[in-house]
This record gives sequence, structure tokens and C-alpha cells, in this order.
Amino acid sequence: MQHNVPHEKDEPSEGMKLVASLTSKGDRSSFVKEVMKMLGGENILDCIQCGLCAGSCPTRFAMDYSPMQIIKMMHLGMREKVLSSSTIWVCSTCYTCYTRCPRAINLTTLMMSLRNLAIKENLVDKNGVKPKFHRSFFEIVNKYGRLHEPELFTRILKKSDLRSLFHNAALGWRLWRKGKLQIRAPKIEQSNDLFNILEKTSEEES
Amino acid sequence: MEISEETRIGVFICHCGGNISDTVDVNDVKEVVGSFKQVKVMDTFEYMCSNPGQEMIKKAISEYKLNRVIVASCSPRMHLDTFREAMKSAGINPYLLEMVNIREHCSWVHDDKKKATSKAKALLRGAVERARYLEPLTPNSLKVTKSVLVIGGGIAGIYSSLELADKGYQVYMVERTPSIGGRMAQLSKTFPTFDCSACILTPKMVSVSQHPKIKIFTNAEPIAVKGSPGNYQVNIRIKPRYVDLEKCTACGECAKKCPVRRPSSFEENLIQEKAIYIPFKQAIPNAYTIDKESCLFFTRGVCRICERFCKGDAVDFTQEEKIADLNVGAIIVSTGYNLMDPKLVGQYSFGLHPDIVTSLQFERLMLQGLHKLSTGEVPKKVAFILCVGSRSTATNGVGYCCKIGCMVAIKQALLLDKAVPGAEPWIFYTDVRAHGKGYEGFYAKAREHLTTFIRGRAAEVIPNGNTVIVKTEDTILGEQIEEPFDLVVLSPALIPNTGTKELAEMLGIDLGPDDFFLEVHHKLRGVETKREGIYITGCVQGPKDIRETTMESMATASKVATFLGKGRISVSPEVAFLISGRCNLCGICIDYCPTKAIKKGEKEVVIDSISCVGCGICVPLCPREAIDLKHCTESQLIAQIRGVSEEGKTSPKIIVFLEKMTAYGSADLGGQSRRSYPPEVRVVGVPSTGRLGIKHMLHAFAAGADGVIFIEGDDSLFRGDQLRERVIQLKKDLDKFGIEPLRLQSTTTTLPEYEKIMSLFDSFVERISKIGPLSQEKREELRKYLAGEQYATQCAA
Repeated sequence: MQHNVPHEKDEPSEGMKLVASLTSKGDRSSFVKEVMKMLGGENILDCIQCGLCAGSCPTRFAMDYSPMQIIKMMHLGMREKVLSSSTIWVCSTCYTCYTRCPRAINLTTLMMSLRNLAIKENLVDKNGVKPKFHRSFFEIVNKYGRLHEPELFTRILKKSDLRSLFHNAALGWRLWRKGKLQIRAPKIEQSNDLFNILEKTSEEES
Repeated sequence: MEISEETRIGVFICHCGGNISDTVDVNDVKEVVGSFKQVKVMDTFEYMCSNPGQEMIKKAISEYKLNRVIVASCSPRMHLDTFREAMKSAGINPYLLEMVNIREHCSWVHDDKKKATSKAKALLRGAVERARYLEPLTPNSLKVTKSVLVIGGGIAGIYSSLELADKGYQVYMVERTPSIGGRMAQLSKTFPTFDCSACILTPKMVSVSQHPKIKIFTNAEPIAVKGSPGNYQVNIRIKPRYVDLEKCTACGECAKKCPVRRPSSFEENLIQEKAIYIPFKQAIPNAYTIDKESCLFFTRGVCRICERFCKGDAVDFTQEEKIADLNVGAIIVSTGYNLMDPKLVGQYSFGLHPDIVTSLQFERLMLQGLHKLSTGEVPKKVAFILCVGSRSTATNGVGYCCKIGCMVAIKQALLLDKAVPGAEPWIFYTDVRAHGKGYEGFYAKAREHLTTFIRGRAAEVIPNGNTVIVKTEDTILGEQIEEPFDLVVLSPALIPNTGTKELAEMLGIDLGPDDFFLEVHHKLRGVETKREGIYITGCVQGPKDIRETTMESMATASKVATFLGKGRISVSPEVAFLISGRCNLCGICIDYCPTKAIKKGEKEVVIDSISCVGCGICVPLCPREAIDLKHCTESQLIAQIRGVSEEGKTSPKIIVFLEKMTAYGSADLGGQSRRSYPPEVRVVGVPSTGRLGIKHMLHAFAAGADGVIFIEGDDSLFRGDQLRERVIQLKKDLDKFGIEPLRLQSTTTTLPEYEKIMSLFDSFVERISKIGPLSQEKREELRKYLAGEQYATQCAA
């Protein structure tokens, strides 16, 4: 049996208290309604808590709550806990949960919607590198019009430990040999059009 | 139709011991009614339904030579039969009676005496107008054929057949495969008692085959059903077996010599059988069959070894397909279920490893001697994966629970535990549903035997050499699990048997949203279909276990016996009829008829007055006005609408059309609980709101209505999309005539939901008051249009 030790879980008693207090305030339904308006959250009330998503998730071991638990927490209105969980950032968006979900809940897309909300509310997992990764990714795309892998690596690696540096160095070497890694910054045609699109969409977002 | 000059109407108003007269000024009503044309006598009485009350009506009939009678009292649901009997004994056709409900729909629901009286006058005016057009009608009576067709020879069909045959009815059982017995014949033991399935089933199969009142057709399917309730004509196609049933002794010599091997469908394709085969040893009829698809004689024209070795000369390659024509009074559908293909749920790798099997295959494995299909070893560690494709809203599953999966897995786990020393059954479940008698104890027993229950729907099944790995999350521990197993048993969803849809179309009955056959009422009429004389039983109605199936089958048999036992069926004369010379066979009515009562004839459509339920949906649909409905004819209905809308000066005037069974009953119930609503609301009962078209709307508005409501029963034939589409169309049409579409509203209701319709009355009256009354100019315009229209129809006629 493969065990995993969730890191830094809250004490169960606090969770219980939280549920009780939130329920009494009626935040429960308001958060569910909020989530149901998000992309991917339309049918979260269809969830029968079967756990297929959790069992299928390849990055489950690194999550503090399983995807199934995240849905349950949304049902219970545990807004802060959901938005500050590592789960939403650890999701690798492989779409396995959505493909297999018997209730056709688009959990992957919902994870991305939750990330947006978490950033907006400043509730991101402060110790994690994930928001950093996403931010760097977007900044690079905003700069060149497409991804520039070496810059992404250097930005991310500043935050990582030595072991992962070596691991990534090996990967980098393999990419380099296949000509997938270009030191020179990339250029795309009509990059200005793309920047305009990005600007407009981020305006709409805010 | 011309108004007969001799029309003589009598109106009788009931006080109902103050129930009516306290709120409605009956004497005032009486005076006003007396001024209506052709009303020869009017009277009031304390209790009209009492014997003296009825005598008063009878006396008036003979004294004034009345030929139309109107009784204004309680709901016709209460006393229609009483007054019709009185009419009969006075020598008048009971269909010349018209009842006006001034109690449940008036005195009990209004407080303002003036307004209630005015409403009563309006309702009576409508009745008087309508009564002028009433015609005498006689109910049809038809002799019933006292025999039954049972489609499907599984446990459901067997039980119904035995029950009916014992009661003395001739039963024809039609089975698609070469033997009766169905799914139950394939099972090892049954939950929760561990009865050997074959041991309890096969004696019943023998009883069926030996019963003098049951005739079995195997290898047979119905191909056409004609006729009407009580008299159905069914064509049965009997495929050739190529073995003479009389001569075959099932000795099995033929199969020993047959060179062709193919997977056995009875054994769920786990083992091979010959091209000449018997599905299982206790098969009924106990005879061999040649599989035409694989037999060398039929595929390549060679071999015929079986024919040579048969000692009884039973093999007969010259047999041909036969059609049997049956006349039956009733039909029972018991075609059962099938398993969903587990390949649809891709992550379970069904078909990619021999040791991933279905629950039904596991049943056969137990009977064959439990072994792994890959190595032949005895499996010790077995995973049972539940809800494969069940309780799913995704495209590769079904939305409902299979109902038997949990118990089957628990039974199989216990059987495994007993059969294999050191066995290790694991059950991966979503929720354990142990709902039946003795089931919870059965679940407890499995736990006592240390069956491992993992709460979490299995995520993935991965073939891995000789073992199969199951990956899942134990949702209670909150941990992912990966375990190797010797054998994985999938519990696929139960789906309707192959061909269910085609059968439903042939029989003209509905499938529910889950594609199983739809019963008339979930609780109260669970084995009847919308077509009289056609019944369902067993898993064709929805997943269920054996106990529920046999209980239901006996209930179905009882229903059929009641239906056929009367010998004759009385058929209401309130049916659609064709006005000849107008139909041009456009076929709209044929498509829309919910009971398939309209068929294509040579020059015009033919309406079967026995199958017709008189809903009237076809009438407004006919573009040439070629169809009309008895007892609710265009002239009767329009006269009533005009009468009800014209009378009185209240504003606004709201006309509510109530479907006569559920919606009308629901409004009655509201009256009984004295739920008051605005007296501006005036009620007209119709067979179904599908009877109404734009013409009726225009007549209502022209005559003084300001708003119209349709209320349909939730169990009616004209609900859901049909009602919605009709109302949307009517709203569009109203808009064309310059009438606000908001003046029309519709809803459906169940009997106890009167609060819903009453609050609709409240809000609708409020809405129409805001919009204001329809202008006089508009009404005048409509009147002119309608007069022209009438002229046009007369010309066409």
C-alpha cells in the first residue's frame, strides 16, 4: 500500500468548528453559488463523493486535500480553506479526473478558476512555489509572446532546492541535445497583436 | 350544428345545506338563469343529490318534457354518476346532463357573496350554452379475448404466466432465445438466503412447459401488434431451430460430433460450445438448436455430421421461418435487462486482461469451478468493483443505481470465502445499498467474514502480468491505494435488454428517461402502461432483484386477470371522430396521437374509437378541422367558453381550463380545504388542455375574457414538452392578433399540489389587473374575424 503523509493538515477539531460556524452564517450556500458561476463549477452539486477523482489524481500525494475533499469543502462553504489549499496549485491539469468523473464535473477547469479567485483574494499558498511558477510563466509570455524555457527555469530554480536543480539539469541537457532549448530569446510574428489580446483579457479579468 | 328547436332545458340548483347557498345567492342565480333562452324550468333544493332532490328532477323531466338537464351543485367528480343514473331512470340519455360545479370551484373558495353569485351565474350560462349542443351518447362495449401474450421467458414472465394460467387464462409465452429461464438460469446462488438459483427456478420452468394453458414459443419474437385493448392481434416470428422439438431427446450425440466451436452466450462467452447446442442442461424446451451463423452447412454447404449421427432423425435442415398469428386480450412485457458493456468505462481495462470479468461472468466461473482464465489457478485475492457505469451523468454511463450490485458483490465475496481457503475478497464501493429484508444482515455477515470494504470508486484497473492492479483512493482514510489482485470482478450497470426501444415503438408505449418502460404511476399504477391492456413486469420497468421481480409479476398477473376477467370492456363514447370529406391524410394527428389510435386509411385517417382515450390533442392540430371530439365538440366547447366569458361585468375575467382528471381534482381539493382565490377566475373543464387551440383563445377573448390559464395534470398525456410547445405557439399566435402573450399562462400539477395552482390564480389575476382589460375595439375586431372564419369553415364544409 502506498502511503502518503499530507503535510501540515489542520487539526480536525478546528475543521469541525469551522464547518459549524460557517454553516450557521449561511456562507455555505453563498460559496456554492459563487463556485457554480465559475468555469468548471457549474455542476459541483452533482458530486456523489465517490472518490474517483482522488484515486485517479497523479499529484494527489503532494496535495493537502484530495480533489474530492475540495468539492466537499466547497459544499460546506469552507471558502478560505479551499482557496488557500495546495491542492489547487498542485493540480497538473492532466484532466484525468474530468475524463473519468461519473458525474461529468470539470474539476480541472474548476481548479484553474479557483486559482484565479485565490490570487484575487490574496489567499495563495504562501510557502508554495506554484503561484510563482504561474506568474513567471505569464510574465515570460507577456515579454516574448511565447515561452522561453531557460528563463523560466532560472526564475523557478531560485526558489528550489539543490536536488531538484540536478534533476532539472539532466532534463535541461536532454532538451538541449534535441534542440528544444534555445538560449536566445524567442520571437514570434505579430507579437504586438498578441500583447494587445493579453492586455485586453487581463483588463476584463480585473 | 343547428340548435334543435325542441331543446328544453331544466336547471336545478343545489343549496348543499348552506354550503352553497350561504355564499351564492341561489335565488338570484335562479332568476337570471330563467331569462336564458330555452330554459323551461329552474328550481333550487336543499340537497339535490338526496332522493327527494332526484325525484324533483325526474318529475320535472316528465312534466316539462325536458331533454337537457343542468345540475349546479358540487364537483362532477362527486355526483356525476348519481345524476346520470337519475337521468337514465327518467328515460333520458345520461350524456344530456351537464353539471356545474358551484361548490368546490365557487362557494367554498370565495367570501364575497356578490362576486361569488356573479361567478355562479357565469358558470351556469356556460353550461346552458353548452347544453344546447349536447348529443345522446352510448358507451361501447367490447368482448375481450381471454388470452395473454407474455413477451420474455425469464423469471418475471414465468411467474406471471403460471399465475394467469392457473387462473384459467390461455397464455402464450414468447422467448427470443432457444430456452426459457432468462438471467436467473445463469446465476449460482441468490442473496441473501444462498438458495441455489437453478434449484428454485427449474421446477417453475418445468411447470410452465407442462401447463396445459401455456404455450411456449422459443426462438421467437413479436414483429407486429395490431388491434385494441382486449383484442390485440400479434404476429410472432419463429426462427427455425433446425431440430425437431418432438423428436429431439437431448442425448447430445450431435454436439459430440459437431466440428464447429464458438463461444457460448449462456456461459457469457467464457467457454466454447458447438454449433449444435443446448444452452444449459435443464433448458426448456429440452432440445438442441443449430446456430445458423456458425454451422458449416449454412456457411459453406458442407458437413451435416449431426444429421447423420442423430438417432432420432431430429435434425432437419429444411425448417423455415414461421409466422404465428395470435389473438390476445392483454400483453405482458417482461423482457428483462442486459449488462452495460464495461468497455465503455475505459479505465477498467475490460477486455485487455482475461482476469478482468463481469459479475455475471463470475457467476458462471463459480459454477464452472472457480479459476483464473489466464493460468487456470484458483484465484484467492479478488477485487469486486461496484458502480461500473452506474450512478453516472457522464456519456459513458447511466444515471440510476443498478440496485443489485452491492448485494451481488457481497454474495460473491461470501461464496468465494466459502469456496477458497484463505480467500481475500475486497469490495470497492461508492455507497453500500442494503435496502431489502435481510440485506443489512447479509452485509454484516460479509464484514464478519473479514471482507475488505474500500469506500471509493475504483480509479483504474491495470493489467500487470498474472495479476491485475486496482488503483483507488480510500476516501475514508484519505489515501491512495494500489493493490494487486488475482481476479477483478466488475459490476456493470443494468440497462434495458437489446430491442427494448423497438418493442416500445411496436407496442406504442413510452420509455422513461432511463430507457426502461414507463409505468402509468410510480406508486399506484406500477405495472400498467399508458395503453390499456399492455402491462410490464420485472426489470423491463427498472432494475430490481429476484424477490421484487416475482412479487411484481404476481401483481401484474392480478391486474391482467382483473382486466380480462370482466369479459367485456366498456369503452367511453367520449372519443375523437372524423368529419368525413375534409381529411387530406397530412398525418399530423397520426404523429401526435399519444395512444396510436389514429391510423392511415385509404382516403382519410381512421380513428379507432377503442384505443382513443378522448384527450382531444388531435382536434386543434388538424389544419382542415376534420377531427372533432364527442361530448366536447367544437360547438359545445365554444358555446361554453363564450357563455362563461360573456356573463357578468367583473373585471378582469380569467378563464381557467382544467384537465378533467388530475388538474380538476386538484382544484376540487383546494376547494375542500377552503383555499380562497379571486372570484374573477372562472373554470372550464376539458379532457386535456391539448383540446384547445387558438380558435378557443380568440373566442374567449372576444367574448370578454382578459386572461387564460391552462392547467394540466402531471400524469396526463399532454404534459411537459407537448404542453410547452403548444402554449408557446399559442402565445405567438395571440401576439399576431395583437393580444399580449402574457395573457396566457400554463402549468402542470399533481393532485395534492392545489396550493401551487391557487397561488398561480392569485398572481395571474394580479398580473392581468396590471395589464388591464382587453379593449372593446380589440374584442370587436376578434368577433368580426371569428364571424368571417366561421363563414370560411362553413364554405369549406
